[in-house]
Amino acid sequence: MQIGFYFDQTRCTGCSACRVACKDWHDVPAGQVNYLRVNYTEKGRFPSVFVAYTVGPCFHCQDPVCVPACPAGAITKRPEDGVVVVDREACLGNEACDEKCLKACPYDAPQFGPEPGAKMQKCNYCLDRHLKEQKPICVEACPTRAMDAGPLEELEKKYGQGREAAGFAYSQRTAPAVVFKAKPEPGA
Amino acid sequence: MSAQEVSQTQDGVQIIRATSAFDCGGRCPLRLHVKDGVLLRVEGDDGPEEEQLRACLRCRAMRQMVYHPERLRHPMKRVGRRGEGKFERISWDEAYDTLIRELTRVKETWGNSAIFLAGGGGYLGALHSGPRAASNLLARFGGYSASYGNVSSEGPVWAVLTQYGSVMVGNSREDLLNSKLIILWGWDPARMISGTNTMYHLIKARENGARVISIDPRYHDTAATAADEWIPILPGTDTAVMAAMAYVMITENLYDQAFLDKYTVGFDKFKDYVLGIEDGTAKTPGWAAEISSVPADVIERLAREYAAVKPAALMDCQGPARSAMGEQYNRCAMTLCAMTGNVGRPGGSAGGGLMGIPIGHMFRSSAIPGMKNPAEAGGPSVRGSLDLQDRLIKRVHTNKIFDAMIHGQAGGYPFDVKMAWFIASDLVTQRGNTNKADQALKGLEFIAVNELFMTPTARYADLLLPASAAIERNDLTRPWPSGPYFTFINKAIEPPGECKSDFDMICELAERMGYKDFNPMTEDQWLEAFVTKNPETGPIIKDYRKFKQEGVHRVKLKEPIIAFRQEIEDPENHPFSTPSGKIEIFSQRVADIGNPLLPPIPKYLSTWEDRFDPLKEKYPLQLLSPHPRNRVHSELHLVGWLRETEPHAMWINPADADPRGIKNGDEVLVHNDRGKLAVKAWVTERIIPGVVSIPEGTWYDPDEEGIDRGGCVNVLTNDAYSPGGAAALKTALVQVAKAEGR
Repeated sequence: MQIGFYFDQTRCTGCSACRVACKDWHDVPAGQVNYLRVNYTEKGRFPSVFVAYTVGPCFHCQDPVCVPACPAGAITKRPEDGVVVVDREACLGNEACDEKCLKACPYDAPQFGPEPGAKMQKCNYCLDRHLKEQKPICVEACPTRAMDAGPLEELEKKYGQGREAAGFAYSQRTAPAVVFKAKPEPGA
Repeated sequence: MSAQEVSQTQDGVQIIRATSAFDCGGRCPLRLHVKDGVLLRVEGDDGPEEEQLRACLRCRAMRQMVYHPERLRHPMKRVGRRGEGKFERISWDEAYDTLIRELTRVKETWGNSAIFLAGGGGYLGALHSGPRAASNLLARFGGYSASYGNVSSEGPVWAVLTQYGSVMVGNSREDLLNSKLIILWGWDPARMISGTNTMYHLIKARENGARVISIDPRYHDTAATAADEWIPILPGTDTAVMAAMAYVMITENLYDQAFLDKYTVGFDKFKDYVLGIEDGTAKTPGWAAEISSVPADVIERLAREYAAVKPAALMDCQGPARSAMGEQYNRCAMTLCAMTGNVGRPGGSAGGGLMGIPIGHMFRSSAIPGMKNPAEAGGPSVRGSLDLQDRLIKRVHTNKIFDAMIHGQAGGYPFDVKMAWFIASDLVTQRGNTNKADQALKGLEFIAVNELFMTPTARYADLLLPASAAIERNDLTRPWPSGPYFTFINKAIEPPGECKSDFDMICELAERMGYKDFNPMTEDQWLEAFVTKNPETGPIIKDYRKFKQEGVHRVKLKEPIIAFRQEIEDPENHPFSTPSGKIEIFSQRVADIGNPLLPPIPKYLSTWEDRFDPLKEKYPLQLLSPHPRNRVHSELHLVGWLRETEPHAMWINPADADPRGIKNGDEVLVHNDRGKLAVKAWVTERIIPGVVSIPEGTWYDPDEEGIDRGGCVNVLTNDAYSPGGAAALKTALVQVAKAEGR
């Protein structure tokens, strides 16, 4: 089984409730470590402006390139649900390996603090909640219900197989476990 | 299983149900995870999915606010110069003694009206609200001075009382799903919420097929998410465009004359104004285009579409009304709602900008019984008066508090202030013309401030009283602006240090001042009485304990609430609450006031510091100060999780940035005759050229040259008010320059 995320870009106001809820749930201080980022796209000229947001957690790729990139074997993909997790004990830290996982990831999911030796940390699909059959906190936090999560197959059945969205490029190489409802761009 | 057991999870974490009590645009049930007295996490509402009242990012960051290292923990007294921010810890005994001594000294030296009580909206719980308790305390003490009006909504309040005689002008939000056309006129609920789930309902309405148009100087996140079309408009010109829409509807006979005949008075006078019969100027689309920069053909199309598509919800709001002549904008919007017959109809709207429904409305909250202020004895009866001047005989307008402190009776104000007591109110950042606040507060004899943080207002204190946060006491809260639901805060954690609720502090003060019966009940007795004796909740909430336990009581509506439905469906038995019993497009009460700037029909009026003011040569840009997305006004300013989501910045169009050599991210200096501030520039196509926008509420932090390094936008706004009472904060001209050498 492979879990995944659904993101309805037409509903996202960029409010960051998901991001703050994520930081609260995982106890991540303000600063450069963000398990979930809210990415911004602005195109066009006044008054024909196009604005879109995309949510950027770890997409728990079906072929995660971070796993082989890690020299210490600290990153693994759980066979039972596809959640990509990091063993922080085994991680060598940002200086020792030069953040190879982050460099490999097309979505900047692996996160390192600024301090020397900082170990990698990232979105783990709220594994504690997942094991209690609860959805990730970002999904439950969304005021406009722009997100969903669950078995990828079910998400595809429910929402289709949208793989593109403004500000997001689907990586054929890693096959991120995400379904999008994209915001139509003018003229597109 | 007992309720207590239900709230325990396996790992010993207790789930406490609460809400915030911020002066925010929502009110959301929270499940606070508490273990060993420590708040660990925040979860949202767990009601049925569709009904879930989902919190925004602000409450999601509650933990960082309550545990912020800069929380005030102990009473303190000033040791440096006033406003310098140097304090020393004292005991509660000394704090109370100091406050009682100063109150007594000022009363004996200058009289009671020299004591100014500034109670703000920083805490909107029912019981622990400090301003109500303090006003009772000071009433017993012989009286105090106060302000009139609230800085947010005075424009629409005046407008709806004039037009409808009622403030309950909203439809419940799910009624948006009945609309075929929704016009967001200055409204940005993605940012300021406007009732929990409002944005969700707006999105669903569009998914349901409604066309959504946003008329706004900014392409804000609501427009970017939910609008099919953005019509950029210059600030202060909304009423001109609305009048021109009326012109199109009248000349093309697209309006609902039968509705006007049956339910309104005075349309003919408005028609004479619109057609130019009254003043020789026809309010044509071409006329409005010159004023507003909205092209004439767009105005024509908008008018035809709004007249043709039914039902249509014209959603005016409070923001554009927070300006000079701002009340005209709401009055004209309501007039368009009547011209199109959308008042009282599902999927329509009555306009008026307040958006509240009569279930769970914040205006109907319980409170401890109030007392008459002896210092205001002998004033005129202001109940129902539309003449602002009646209300300013005994009080000062809320946007003139600091001017009144400086000029006093010699300046025409009703009193000379010598001492101020601020409770739940950071007025230094939240009223116009912040540098005047600095001058005013430096001139007072004594200042006491109840606060959670060292806010810009708290920095001027002589005596600082540390207040607890909402989730550190039990209280009742109400939705902003209204339900249909009611909420409860269960105390989740102990306050830090020696913090107390404002109510508890004031009760202890009362005890020391000899008012023995000041607080006759326990907290729980008060709250139970508030629920059972409130005429609204009493019949609905049968079980106080259950309500407290669940933290929310939802009211199931059989169908959406529609403002004025009865007045429209059964006018014989349900007249409007106006003197004529009808919608007053022309108001005789307003005509009797006799102020040409407060006309009896809605009119576009030119003002100071609008785009035609000669001052524009010197200060060519109009300034907006919208709600922040990541604060509640100045509340939550220090919270890191929120700050990082949106760095404080001024929106500026490339057309204005390029000639000034300003690039995205540059520090700029923004100034006018009132002050100067430093802020980062956000160069974006999302704002109309000629306008810059700085979110309100960042903390004032002037340097030695008087430049506000905190980017507090009210350094630039005016401490003026409109004739109907609107605080004229969005009527300001500025110049912007790139900051050099920093």
